[in-house]
Formats: sequence, structure tokens, C-alpha cells
Amino acid sequence: MSFFNNYIYGSNEYLGRLYLIVSSLITFGLITLYSISTDPLSISSSFMRQLIFIIFSLFVFFVLNQINVKTIHDNSTLIYIISFLLCFVPFFLTPVENTYRWIDLGFFYIQPGEYLKCATIILIAKYLSNHQLEVKEGYIVFIPILIALLSSFLVLNQPDLGTAVIIFAPVLPMMLWAGVNGFTLFLLIAPAITIIAASNNMIFNIWGVLMFIIFMTFQGSLFKKVLIYFANIFTGLLFPFFWNDFLNGYQRQRFIDFLNPDLDPMGSSYHIIQSITAIGSGGMFGKGWGQGSQTQLKFLPVQESDFILSVIAEEFGFFGIAAIMFLFFMLIKTLLDIAFKSSDYFSSLVIIGLTSILFSHIFVNSAMTIGLMPVKGLPTPFVSAGGSFMLLCFIMLSLVSNLSKN
Amino acid sequence: MLKIENKADIFHYRTLLFVLVLSILTLLSRYFYLQVIEYERYSSKSQVNSVRAQATYAPRGLILDRNGVVLVENYPTYILTVTPYELDNKEAQFQIISDITNISIDELSRRYKKYYQGRFLPTVIAKNLTFAEISQIEERRLELSGFQYKRFDERLYNDVLKDAHFLGYLRELDRESIPFLDKSQLYRAGELIGWQGLEKQYETELRYSKGIEYIEVDTYGREINTINENNIPAYPGKNLTLSIDSKLQKFSKNLLIDKKGVILVSNVDSGDILSMVSNPSYNLDIYRGETTDSDWSNLLSDEDKPIINRNIAGLYPPGSSFKIITAFNLIEDGLLDPEDSLMCTGSYIPPGSSNTFNCWKGDGHGLVDLNKAIAQSCNVYFYETVQLIKLADWTKTAKIFGFQNKTNIDLPNELIGQIPDKEFFINTYGRWGWSERGVLLNLTLGQGDILVTPLQSLRYINHIASRGKTAKLKLNANKKVEYYDDILLADQTWDRVINGLYDVVNSEGGSGWRAKQSKVKLYGKTSTAENPHGEPHAWFNGFFDFEGQTYSLVVLVENGGGGGAVASPIAGEIVKFFTSEQIEIVNK
Repeated sequence: MSFFNNYIYGSNEYLGRLYLIVSSLITFGLITLYSISTDPLSISSSFMRQLIFIIFSLFVFFVLNQINVKTIHDNSTLIYIISFLLCFVPFFLTPVENTYRWIDLGFFYIQPGEYLKCATIILIAKYLSNHQLEVKEGYIVFIPILIALLSSFLVLNQPDLGTAVIIFAPVLPMMLWAGVNGFTLFLLIAPAITIIAASNNMIFNIWGVLMFIIFMTFQGSLFKKVLIYFANIFTGLLFPFFWNDFLNGYQRQRFIDFLNPDLDPMGSSYHIIQSITAIGSGGMFGKGWGQGSQTQLKFLPVQESDFILSVIAEEFGFFGIAAIMFLFFMLIKTLLDIAFKSSDYFSSLVIIGLTSILFSHIFVNSAMTIGLMPVKGLPTPFVSAGGSFMLLCFIMLSLVSNLSKN
Repeated sequence: MLKIENKADIFHYRTLLFVLVLSILTLLSRYFYLQVIEYERYSSKSQVNSVRAQATYAPRGLILDRNGVVLVENYPTYILTVTPYELDNKEAQFQIISDITNISIDELSRRYKKYYQGRFLPTVIAKNLTFAEISQIEERRLELSGFQYKRFDERLYNDVLKDAHFLGYLRELDRESIPFLDKSQLYRAGELIGWQGLEKQYETELRYSKGIEYIEVDTYGREINTINENNIPAYPGKNLTLSIDSKLQKFSKNLLIDKKGVILVSNVDSGDILSMVSNPSYNLDIYRGETTDSDWSNLLSDEDKPIINRNIAGLYPPGSSFKIITAFNLIEDGLLDPEDSLMCTGSYIPPGSSNTFNCWKGDGHGLVDLNKAIAQSCNVYFYETVQLIKLADWTKTAKIFGFQNKTNIDLPNELIGQIPDKEFFINTYGRWGWSERGVLLNLTLGQGDILVTPLQSLRYINHIASRGKTAKLKLNANKKVEYYDDILLADQTWDRVINGLYDVVNSEGGSGWRAKQSKVKLYGKTSTAENPHGEPHAWFNGFFDFEGQTYSLVVLVENGGGGGAVASPIAGEIVKFFTSEQIEIVNK
């Protein structure tokens, strides 16, 4: 038994907690899928398929658990190149739903873009850990951003905006973890905020003042600061002109369509309205397992994957949602603990990267169901139905377990 | 273990934890707002005004013949559905339905189980409701909560072509088949799908595109209001115009009354099939409404196999028409001078053998050259000459003419038949159980292990009629004309064979003289194919020019007797249809 414990947990006390949380999430997901399947015990139901994927993923998890951290560290470039090349494979296959995201393996689809996320994190972690002495220098940020840009650009062409954005999610937390200067990080996100703020005069003015204060607080050459400050302001001022005048309506629509190939033809607002009605009508305690009228009447679209949280909200109420949010919180916190306690710098960085990915999935998916974000097909880790992503979650889990065993 | 030690800063840890807590609290507060503070609003919205997206339908495309005669159209019927969660007393309610419709409770329960899609979705339990039944259901509305009747289109076949296999039929979809179908068509259990024949082949074109309609419903699923915003209209399927001439089809069908067999007529230039009869057949109306299991098992166990479309799925020995394959080999490879004559004494004894092979004409044909051998179908001529050909060359020629290959007509489930080659004989008879010379004596007569479909035979005659540049056979009149791979033979080869085929019908002593016509030149070849099932099959394959177009025909009478005596006169009648001599019969 101690051998088994050692094999699974290594020497890390937090892994046990992690596995308990993951099992709870999976069980929660399965119970929900059982409730919405018309014929849950038939082999084609989402419940049974999910069960099969989980068993398969567990198998992969145990196999990957054999791999040593050093192997991952030393081969990180190779892992990245392979994942990168794998993303080209779908372009040679017949498109699935007009996109080149999937490879059909017969029994299920895999999405190479998902695995590129992991590979990108590992490569960035290796770079940052090898250049630890230089992290205080501003230029350290360029290589990680270039790596993320490269991956993101490839995925964007599949096209898959969701994954392309998620690839960037780990960059900032990882650099923060590595100890990159706070002001440098601020400079990185400032232009994005500027563009978003440019949509409203009032917000843009507040942002201008705020940015000025931050610039003054930090030390550095005055000339550089003034230059960057005005570059930001000009970007913000010019963007509306570019968007409104330089592009005509048709081009704008094309751009939006390109970014959202899976936008529902009936209009995504229909989905959101149905989702919010389902959630709201669940109330404090929910309508009961299998009793959600919105869900069961099939008003709610893609309920087994994108909108599974809405099903939980309708059938188990706010208590159900609070329970699952608590589990998500504990999942991320445990991962942060593992990263913090990790004895090795590279491992710690990779875990932070993986944690960011899991968290961004959780956040974007939940925010979508309650109308805080546009509809984007990002599944919820360990809960949503779907083979490729479930497998990825287990691969990430095995990476965490490997990296923390030192 | 690795080189560099982790120096994670507690400040960074706290920053990330802070972001996490903030995000989760933002999400939770929004959920709390929706679920607890705004609960009343959304709860009543979900109860009173649920918007249900409901599929709407449009008619399936019609099937027309080449002259625009409607062969298959739609016919409105009413079906009864039940929504499980709205039932208040299933047994009692089923009893009422059983009383009204005379369907037993057991049968109703069986269908309820079979088509069940979920507690909240309507399940079909009865079809073809009469108006009397509908009005009784309407009268007892209050006792029958959860039951609804709906319009449902079925296929109606024109009386002229009620039994044409190639039309195919529709079938109700069950849940198990759906995962294997095209997802973009949004199939649902209980809907109809083309399952055989042209209905299957052209399913995508014929099928309507489904629409979506949003309806406000209350908690009991009752419709309150239709919302016209965002509706997607349903579009009807496209009509399918066939190359079939229904008059000719009916006329040909009448020629086969009381006979088993096949009549095929095609336009050689376009590949259009004008008539495709397979007899015996069965009434396609059997697929409408309720078909009892005993009707089905009678149909399936019938020894005459009415359910099979013999044109594409019946396999027969071709008989003497395959002598032409030998002739092609002989002339094209210069193995003999077609003008040379052999002596047919009525029998042939192969060198080194003691077996006697007889000609069908007991006292012999006398001196026979190639032309006469084809015209009078002399066995002895081909026994002797086939000895000059290698088995591999012979089978290759047969395959060039499309045998043991699909004709690729636009119908599903076509069989390819069999052209036995060396490998086949070794597998079947052992390495020493056969000889090349021996089997060729059989093959040259189109006997012994050769199996062809009548449609392949039509393709074969079309290849000859078009001298190797042949349009692909098709049933869809609007399908673009495509061609089979060209068959490149010398002009002189085609001339010899075609002259022979002319003499079959038109010369003195030609085996197909009974098909001879005064107004058009008919070319053809009779076959009398021996088979283990009784009398020989009678074949006639031929072609003729009429008003600038070339037409071809294949007549097969299963176990009918001699090709010359039985099939040729039928072929003659078909040609007469074209030359209008038979117009009054057609219009009867």
C-alpha cells in the first residue's frame, strides 16, 4: 500500500487532496450527464461515452505517470515541435464542421490545438527557468510572448479563436511567478486595455489618468515612459477610426465571422437567454435531479458540454453551483499550493501554466452561461462531456503529479 | 533534482490567490443574483413562457417520369403522438385510444417503448388516423391530456408504376440508425428516410430542409403563441425527373405478364434508362401505413423473390451472347480470318478427349464462317475457335465490357456478378480439377460459373452499339451524361460483330428472326442459358436506330425456354412500341 501511495502521491501531501477534488468534479459531471441523457445506459448516450472517455483517460494517466520530470524538461523543445506539427495534420484531412481543428481517430476526435497549449507552457517554463538570473531585465518577456504568438497564430488559422486566446492565458501568471518586474507586466497588458477602453470616452479618460499615475509610480527613464504613454494614448485614439472608417461593414462582419466560425446561425443571444432562464429558474435549491424543465424540454442547447453548468444550476440550484464553484476554487488553490511547495523551479512554472489554463476554461465557460462573456465553445474541466478535452485534463493532471513528486 | 531551486515568492502566490478568489466571487455573485434575487422572474418565465424551438417540415420532392408524369407524390395522413410527462393515467388513456383506433393496448405500448425519445418529447403511437377517429379524439380531449394528432406526409405511388422496384421506399427512422446519418440533415426518430432505390440514392436532394419555429409554451407544453422572430422556414425537397418513360414501362410490364424476368430499354446515346421492369414485383403501397409482420414474412419468403430488383440484383448465366466476347478476341487479335469456314457436323470432340460436345442443331450447320456462326449461334464454331484463345485474354475482354463490375447506375445495392478466372477455378476445383481448354468450352457459350446482371448485359450491348464510346447508364434524366472508359478496338472488329448481330435478326436462319421489324433495322443476339433451376433462361439483347437516336434493349425471361422462340418476339413488340404500331395497346 505504501508503494501504491508513493506511486500515486509521490512525497507530496497535496496530491491526495487534488485527486479527491478531481473525483468529486467528475462524479458531479456524470450525475448531471445521466440526468440529461434520454437513454443513459445506451452506448451512444453522452453519459456512457463520458464514462468510457474517463476510463480511457485514466489509463493514459497511469501510463504517463511513469515519465520522469527530467525527460520532460530536456525534451521540451521536441515536445513543442511535435505538438506544433500535429496541428497541421487536420489541414490535410476533411474539415469537421468547416474547421480544421480535429483529427478523427475513429472512436473519438482529438484536437491537436489543445495539446499545443501544454507544449507551449513547457517550452516557456524551460526558457524562464534557464534564464532565471535575467528575469529582472525587461527583454526577458519577448521570447515567451513570441512562443505564445507562434502557437496562437497557428491555432487561429484552424480557425479556433477560443484556443488561440487561451494559449495566452498562462503567459502573464508564469512571468509573474518567475519574478518579472511588475511594471513590465503592466506595459504588456496596457495596450489591450487601451483598445477596449477606447470604445467609451469616459472610460478612456479614466484609464488615461490611471495609466499616468502608474507610470509615475514606477522608476525608470522618463523619456521612455513618456514615449510609451503616448504610444498607448494614440493607439486608443486611432483604433475607433481604424475599426469604423478604414474597414467597411462587410469587412468587419467578415472579420467577426472569421473569429467566430461556430457562431450559431439562430443568433447566440437565443442560447444565452435560454441558459439564463434555466439558471434563474433553478432558484436556491434547484428543481431536482432530472426535473429541470428547461433542460429536459431541450430548450437549452449543447447542454452536455458548453452549458452543463446551466443544467447544474437549474437542477441543483444555487447550492449546486456554490458546491461546484467551491470545488473549482479548491482545485485551483491546491494546484497553486503544489506549485508553491515544489522544490524545483521548472516544475513550479509548468504547474502555474497548467493551472492558468484550467482556470481560464472554468472562468470563460461559467461567465458565458450567465451572459458575462460571448458564446465560445470552451468546455469546463472534468465536468463537460467531450473526449479530447477530458483526455487533456488527465494529461495535465499526470504532468502535475510527475512534477510534484520530487 | 533539476538544476534550479524553486524560489516562488509568497507575494506572487497571494496575488494569484487573490485573482482566483475575486473571479470565483464575481461568478458566484452573478449566479446568486440570477438564482436567488431574480428567482421569481426567471421561474415564472420558465413556467409560463418557455420558448420551444420546434421543427417544421415541407414536402419531400416528387419523382416524375421523363414526360412530367408524377410517379411518386406526397399524401397527407394524421398521426397520433403522446408526450409522456403530460399523461395523467397512462393505462386508462391508452384504453380510450385503443377503443377509438382498434389498435390493441399491447401494440400501443410496444410503439410507445420503441419510439420513446424522452419524457418531454412527443412519441408517435398511431398512424393513418381517419377523420372519424380524429373527431372522436377531439370529443374526448379532456380525458386525453398529452395526446396530440399531427399531419404527417407519406408517399403515394402512381398506379402506373406502383410496383417499380427502382423507385424504392421510405422507412421510419429508429434511434439506433441516427448516429450513422448525415448530421447536417437533423434526422430525428420517427421521421421518414429514403431506405431503398432512388429514394435512398437521392435522399439528400429529395429531402426537405427542416425549418425551425419558436413557440411559447406553458408548463404543460401547451402552445400559447408563436413567435415570428428568428424563424427559419422549411424548404421543400427538389423534384427528381427520371429518364423512365412510364408508358413504355407499363407496356413492357404487360409483355411479362405471367412470366418471371426483366425488360430493360435504354437510349444508348445518353445512357438514359427508358424502362426497367422486374417481374414478379410487389405493391409499394405496402410501405404506407401499418404493415403487419405476416404481410412482410409472406413477401420475404415468396419463392419467386418479388422483393428483388432483378435488373441489378438478379444473377444469371448470360448464354450465347458471350460468344461475341470470343468473336472480339478472335478478330481483334487476328487469330483467324473471319471469312474462313469450318464444318459443323452437329458435334465436337476436343483433341485428346473422348467427350462429345453437341451443337444445339443436331444435324449441324454445315460450312460456317464467323458471320453465320454469330447469326445462327453455332456452338461448334465457337468450340473450335475458342481453343485459339488464352483463358486470361478471354476473361480480360469480358471485364473490359463491364462484367464483374458495377455499371454505376444511380441505384444502391447493385451486384457485380462473376467472371471466373484462373484463380477462381483453382479455388473451386483444385489445381488439377480443371483444364483451361475444358472451361473455355463452357465459357464461350456463356455457361459454367459466369453470372451477370441484366443491367450489365444492357451495358454490354450499349458498348457494342456505340462502338466502345458509351454513355453511363442512369435513371436521373437531369444527370450529366458521363462515359465509361473507352473500349478501343479496330473499326473492322466492330463492323464484323455488328454485321453478325444484324444477321441474327435479319438473315435467313438467324436465331432472332422472330424479332425482325419492317420499319427499323434491329441488331441483336439471342441466348438460351442453361441453369440448374429448370428450363433455360431466354435472353434477347439488341439495339436499333430510330429517329436519329440509338436505343438498346434487354429481354430476359427466367426459365422461359429458347431465346429465339420466347425472348425475340417480346423484343420485337418493344421495337413496335417505338414505331407506333402498338400505340393503341399503350393507351388502353
